[in-house]
Amino acid sequence: MSVPSCKKDLLNQDNPNTLTVEQFWKTESDAQKGVNAIYAMSFQSGSWARWIYFRLDLTSDEGFSNSPWAELADWTRFQYINYNFWEGNVNTYRDTYKAIFRCNQVLTYVPEIPFTDETKKTQTLAQAKFLRAFYYYYAAILWENFPIVTELQNPTDLPNKSTLSEVWSQVEKDLIEASADLPEQWASSEVGRPTKGAAQALLGKAYMQQHKWNEAKTAFDYLVTGAGKGYYGLVNYQDNFRAENENNKESVFEIQFSDANKTAEGDGPSSNMGSNRSQFFAPRSIGWSDGQARNWIIAEFKKEKTINGQIDPRLRYTLFYPGLEADFGDKTYGRSWAWNADEAWFKKYSRDYMRNNEDYFNQINNRVIRYADVLLMYAEALNELGSTAQAYQYVNTVRTRANLAGLALAYPAIGTNKDLFRERLKTERSLELCGESVRWADLKRWGDLDTQEGVNKVALRDPDFKNFVVGKNIRLPLPQVEVENNTNLVQNPNY
Amino acid sequence: MKKLLPQRQGFTSCLKFFNKRNFKGPKTCFIFCSLLFLFCSSSAFAQVAVTGTVTANTEPLIGVGVHIKGTTISSMTDKNGKYSLTVPNPASSVLVFTYIGFITRELPLKNRPVLNVNLVETATNLNEVVVVGYGSQRKKDLTGAISIVKTGDIQKRQATTVAESLQGLATGIRVRGGGQPGSEAQIQIRGLKNFSGTNPLYVVDGLVTSANRDFNSADIESIQILKDASAAAIYGSRAANGVIIITTKQGREGPMKIAFSGKSSVQTMPRYDLAETEEFSRLNYMAYDNSNTPRQNLDLDINTNWQDETFRTGNTQDYNMSFSGANKDGSYYVSGGYFKNKGTVISTDFNRLNFRVNTKGTKGIFTIGENLAISNAKNNEMSGNPIIDVFRMLPTIPVYDASHAGGYGYGDEAKARTFGTNPVAIADLEDRINENLRLRGNLYTELQLLPSLKYRFNLGYETSNDHYSYLRKDGSWTLNQSYDPAIINQNRGQSSTVLAENTLTFNEKFGQHAFNVIAGQSYQKDNYAQLWGTKRNILANPSGGYYDVLDQGNEPQTGGYKNRVDLISYFGRFEYNYADRYLLNGVFRTDGVSRFGVDNKFGAFPSISGAWRISQEKFFKASWIDDLKLRANYGTLGSSNIGPYDYIAFINTFSTIPMGQSQTIQQGSTQVKLSNEDLRWEEVTQQNYGFDAAFLKNKLTVTAEYFISKTKDVLIEYPLLISTGNDGGNPFVNGATLGNRGFELTTTYQDNSRLFKYNITANFTTLNNKVINLGYNKNRTFVGNTVTEVGSPIGMWYMLQTDGLFQNTNDVSNYKNSQGVVVQPGAMPGDIRFKDNNDDGAITNADKVVVGSPWADYEMGLNFGASYKGFEFTMDWFGSFGSTVFNGPKSVLNMFSDNSNYLAGVQPWTPENPNTDVPRAYYGSTINSRGDTDRWLEDGSFARLKYIGISYNIPKKLMSKISFSNAQITLSAQNLITITKYTGLDPEFSNSSIFEKGYDFGAFPNLRTVSLGLQFGF
Repeated sequence: MSVPSCKKDLLNQDNPNTLTVEQFWKTESDAQKGVNAIYAMSFQSGSWARWIYFRLDLTSDEGFSNSPWAELADWTRFQYINYNFWEGNVNTYRDTYKAIFRCNQVLTYVPEIPFTDETKKTQTLAQAKFLRAFYYYYAAILWENFPIVTELQNPTDLPNKSTLSEVWSQVEKDLIEASADLPEQWASSEVGRPTKGAAQALLGKAYMQQHKWNEAKTAFDYLVTGAGKGYYGLVNYQDNFRAENENNKESVFEIQFSDANKTAEGDGPSSNMGSNRSQFFAPRSIGWSDGQARNWIIAEFKKEKTINGQIDPRLRYTLFYPGLEADFGDKTYGRSWAWNADEAWFKKYSRDYMRNNEDYFNQINNRVIRYADVLLMYAEALNELGSTAQAYQYVNTVRTRANLAGLALAYPAIGTNKDLFRERLKTERSLELCGESVRWADLKRWGDLDTQEGVNKVALRDPDFKNFVVGKNIRLPLPQVEVENNTNLVQNPNY
Repeated sequence: MKKLLPQRQGFTSCLKFFNKRNFKGPKTCFIFCSLLFLFCSSSAFAQVAVTGTVTANTEPLIGVGVHIKGTTISSMTDKNGKYSLTVPNPASSVLVFTYIGFITRELPLKNRPVLNVNLVETATNLNEVVVVGYGSQRKKDLTGAISIVKTGDIQKRQATTVAESLQGLATGIRVRGGGQPGSEAQIQIRGLKNFSGTNPLYVVDGLVTSANRDFNSADIESIQILKDASAAAIYGSRAANGVIIITTKQGREGPMKIAFSGKSSVQTMPRYDLAETEEFSRLNYMAYDNSNTPRQNLDLDINTNWQDETFRTGNTQDYNMSFSGANKDGSYYVSGGYFKNKGTVISTDFNRLNFRVNTKGTKGIFTIGENLAISNAKNNEMSGNPIIDVFRMLPTIPVYDASHAGGYGYGDEAKARTFGTNPVAIADLEDRINENLRLRGNLYTELQLLPSLKYRFNLGYETSNDHYSYLRKDGSWTLNQSYDPAIINQNRGQSSTVLAENTLTFNEKFGQHAFNVIAGQSYQKDNYAQLWGTKRNILANPSGGYYDVLDQGNEPQTGGYKNRVDLISYFGRFEYNYADRYLLNGVFRTDGVSRFGVDNKFGAFPSISGAWRISQEKFFKASWIDDLKLRANYGTLGSSNIGPYDYIAFINTFSTIPMGQSQTIQQGSTQVKLSNEDLRWEEVTQQNYGFDAAFLKNKLTVTAEYFISKTKDVLIEYPLLISTGNDGGNPFVNGATLGNRGFELTTTYQDNSRLFKYNITANFTTLNNKVINLGYNKNRTFVGNTVTEVGSPIGMWYMLQTDGLFQNTNDVSNYKNSQGVVVQPGAMPGDIRFKDNNDDGAITNADKVVVGSPWADYEMGLNFGASYKGFEFTMDWFGSFGSTVFNGPKSVLNMFSDNSNYLAGVQPWTPENPNTDVPRAYYGSTINSRGDTDRWLEDGSFARLKYIGISYNIPKKLMSKISFSNAQITLSAQNLITITKYTGLDPEFSNSSIFEKGYDFGAFPNLRTVSLGLQFGF
């Protein structure tokens, strides 16, 4: 059929709203925007805006859910019935792949873009690698056998299954490459992007999970004893959880939140850049109260007094608990204790110190990796490597800030006994890092969940672990819909 | 209302043709046979010439057969409706008048020299002109499947939209929805052709549009539903879901007629039978006790009936007035209407204002006309979902609580643990107003170039200004709600459609060969643009409200976008009619649309259809059959029901991130949604076989259709793997092939020969859909609790099977698989026993099986009408049988794991009361309340009295005294009786997800409506 050309033009309507993929990925600015879009994944609900805290904090023995939303609570106590439960599983799985897709775009397109400054190009690519590794790290923690996708996907692609060790290899590869190209420090206007130290720390964490103690120690060396040492230190404890003094010396990698857009989260214009965590974890009648802390932590804090005979000051900034007002004179969101005598709520990243309510737009950055964590992991690696004596100093650095006596003084029985040191370190970590989303990985790394005996011990602190099935609940089920639609996958064992 | 086409010239030559062949017709009752004997009289008896005129409603009828009963003497009427006949025995002869589509009349001559006769149409008037797109045909000449809905039937019903009022009035269409003020109904013609939507194409006065809620059905002159490919092919690419053609009223020749109609109705909601505080607390304590949870401190002094607080008696008022008239040079029709609906849920209402001016003028060969409608519709929309909120709230919660911000009661951690939304609070604290002003019309000119050749130019235009306004006031409606200040959102959109069409119509008859040919070209452009703004902390005014303008408040957000779609089409239709016996239609359309990539823009959609009026054949001897026409057709339709730019992959430029010590906002851009660039037309090929028959002097008519359709390259947003990282909706892909086959039968019996006149129409539809293949070479896909598998219908229920309750611990320990493994070792007496279908000794997702179909086996409509003197009675039943549906509200009401109100009288299992199918009540765990089990499936069959009404026409004598020409009072009711086993609010619910058609998520129910109407004209 012959159609007049003018009419053919009528049928070629360009989208007046935005660029096509073909038109994009041409300039340095495009590359910059491409990598920026990966950071924006932190603001999505399956990611660091909301649900990942349910997996990392509430599933662990530090937290639990007493939510009236029974299914939401079931997913914090190993009662996984519907593997397609969006809030408990699929949303986080989906957002992980969304983030990986954004990383893969940068890593596919940016190498072809000419840059005037080649360093800028390698730094752009290195950021994408770091962030890809970051998302794979948490995928390895949560699902373990998480299918690796490093190339842009067509709708028809069916990725192969991956084993946990394959996922770790991918994490290591990306981080080693990222570390080589990331700057040691960013200019003030770019602070918040991962540094070389962030890559080394995350690499160390990945090695730690695999019990590659030597590689872990080597990775951490950069921050603790090596070239990066000067960039890191400890600050006032509470400054790690507040909107003021963000990106301070203790921050190794930090998710940048903002309350500038008080709208829904997502990919629309002016989407929310804040965290919802405090709205979901705030006490009843203040927030949704879908997650709260186990009260054994209070007792653990009170076991050891500071050198001045005071209560460990970290407790004041870690939990809302019945004795908070008596112990420190602090109310909870302006209220005296109005909850049960055996309850406690997570205080870190809450805005109790500046307001009496919460919302979905919390601007406080999440210090995903902070230096105190690195020091304690460094100590752990040294201990595992048999250098227990050497490990003391790093634990003491952390303890000293809390005004606690040196470890050897406080617990002389440990000496250089590796096992006793490890047991003490477990407590040290929970006191320092409670509610900072590291506990689930810690329990896995320590092997506390590998035997029924170990699980029984954990269950004394958190009865939800009575539901824990060894060999099964150590990892989440893959979303059922993905297993059904990708014939190359198999569901995780025992699901 | 019904127009008669003038018979074409050339009939006489046709008759001569038969005479030459010495054709001898059968003796009686053979439709049209008598026409053939015009020149056959040759008797030698004493003869008297008789003449007369045959009319229908004062209009002359041309070609009516007149014969003397018991003889072969016959004649037929000329172009003025006149006949003459030589009658051998004028005293005792009986004249018989027969004409297709009219009731045969037999009149004794009684020596009269002049006998004028008025013929009455049969209920299904075959001479009715049917608008078939860019032209019209007589119903008797149709070769495709077209339903004609009587507008009188539609206008009797109280409905907001045209679609809502169509149910049960035609075969093969399924309508769901309505109920809420201003809600649009879903309509589906002949099953699911695709996954992306079922709404048919609406053509109003030639303009492709939507007959949505701002369209006034009082202006409708006629509605035709084009159901099969041959009928709809003239609309090519947009006709895959069928076409509904609406023609609006025109003035009729004569002095000005003024017509008024007013209707007022009362609407009520069906309700749940919910527990009150006494029963609720007993059950709630039981659920807590069973799970060893300390009881909550229910406030037993409060007994709120949330349904009383939220639902109310609604009403509608519908007034229309029209002025119309015409002379031979021109016509006019001017109308105005006002419709108001106070909703059955608090704080919901809808109102509509309509104006219409249709005019036409003719001078010589030139005709010009326009149809123009202006409407303004305003909808105060519902907030939350009160259908669910009324039972998510506990009876122990007070409606008002001064201690809460905003002053409303809701859940309390200690006293009433529920996150249910207080429906009264949200109705007050959220205001959603949706208003639009629409202008819709067309301007056309016609040139009768030759008697047989007409040129027409049609320019259509439609624009709508939409305004959505949202105000969130300060205050809370649910437990632990996050704090938000007062917020305003204003959203304005504008859509416009321009249509330009040129058509040439050629209409000629050569001997017995009649031709009608249409050729045309059309161009359509659709534009849409939207802009919105939001602000927070808007200023309260001293009278308790807010200054709801965007100048107030802070933290502004704005946005906006625009779209454009172009469509270029060429089309033609060829109709051939040989002696009214053989009918052949061919249609061709090619459409080019901007929605597809360069290589895929154009699609071609041909169809061919034929009909054979077998009753016209000389070998056809079945005298008890008055008319029999066989029809068959085959055709292809298309669909491009996708977004304007879906074939292109885009960059989402919306990401923002705070970066740097000062947290400066930086821009991000990335691809979020994947796309398939080679998208092409979805194609439906259809075969349709049918017959139309009339018996018993046209008193009984039967139409039957069987159709097979196959949709290939279905444009579907097929779920992608999560591992693609795709978001923002699944991209469209030409990803499935679907088959539909169905049978439709309509039977009408009518008797208008006596003072008591009545008619009964029964229609029957059965439909099967089947997935032939699925996207990305998959075999099945899961959505919610359904599976869609190749070889099966779409969206079959896929769930765990329950197998009663464990009555005691022996039941639990004896429930083993074939290997002797106890399947549910943790179960307690009173818990549900699930079937271990894969025999692995555990209940997992792998035990799910297909447990039912959401599709009805068949649907039926029964319409009964009767009249006696001034009284008219009408009754319409609709029934749907054999579907299995999911009772979503009940799955919440009876779950006990979370706090909601319960159905009154529910009997959970207890050791004392083991004879029940409700498991033991258990708070805090989903063990006994899983949503993915067949426990919530129910038989969705129902029969419903959709309409019953009685009218009284005030006698004309009385009316003429006050110079009225007619007046009618009507009392009617809708949805008065429903016969069903379904325990939800309404078995006739709608769900917009094609994969979950049978899932009642708490859909707004159909309402019981009682109306009083008054109509008069002068």
